[in-house]
Amino acid sequence: MEINVLAFGQVADITGKTSWKVPLVKTTNELNQQLIKSYPQLQSTTYLIAVNKKIIQESVELNTDDTVALLPPFSGG
Amino acid sequence: MESSKKHNVFIDGPISPAFIANSIEKHNKKTTIGAHSLFLGQVRQDTINNQQVIAIEYTTYREMAEEKFHEIREDAFKNFPLICMHIYHSLGLVNAGEISLLVFTSAIHRKDAINACEAIVERIKKEAPVWGKEILNDDNYQWKINS
Repeated sequence: MEINVLAFGQVADITGKTSWKVPLVKTTNELNQQLIKSYPQLQSTTYLIAVNKKIIQESVELNTDDTVALLPPFSGG
Repeated sequence: MESSKKHNVFIDGPISPAFIANSIEKHNKKTTIGAHSLFLGQVRQDTINNQQVIAIEYTTYREMAEEKFHEIREDAFKNFPLICMHIYHSLGLVNAGEISLLVFTSAIHRKDAINACEAIVERIKKEAPVWGKEILNDDNYQWKINS
C-alpha cells in the first residue's frame, strides 16, 4: 500500500530526489502536509499537484499505486 | 489528417537549423499547402546579477507532457483548418543562441497557419510540464520563469 511521488524543477532541488515511494495516505492534502513536514522549504514554494498526470485543484482521495507529481511553474519553450 | 498518430516531440539537445530546413523540405509534395508558419524559440543570453545565462537545461515529466502535447495537437486540428503541424521541444542542454522549440503549422491560407502557430506556442508555454534551468557562467543556476 504505497504511492509514488515525483518531483521536478525547484521542488526536486528541495526534496533532493525526483522519484520515491511513501506509505498510502487518504488524501493529497494529507500527503502534502507530510511532505511539508519532511521538507519545510516546500511551504514557501509554488507548485501544483497532479495525480496520475491530471492536475488537481482541490484535495482528492488517493489509492494504492497512484502517482502524485509535484509541479513547479512550467518554463518550457 | 495525421492528427491521431503518435508523435515524438522531444529532441535531445538543440534543434539544428538543418533539421528545420529538412522539415520544410518534407512538405514539398503536399501541394495543397499555401502557407507555413514557424515559431522558433531561441535560448537568450540573459544577464542575471551580472552573470550571463550560457545555456538552459530542459527537463520534463515525460508521460504527462506527451499527453499534453497530444491534446494541444488535437485541439489545434479541431480549431484551425490545418493541413499539418509539428512540434519539437529540446530536452537536456541547449546553449545560448541555439533553438529549443519549433512549432510548424501548415494550411491553405496564411492566417490559419499563423493563428494556429501562435495558439499552440502559448499553450505549450502555459501547459506543458517542462522546466528550464538557466545555467549561469559562474556555475550557479536559476529556474527559468515564463512571462
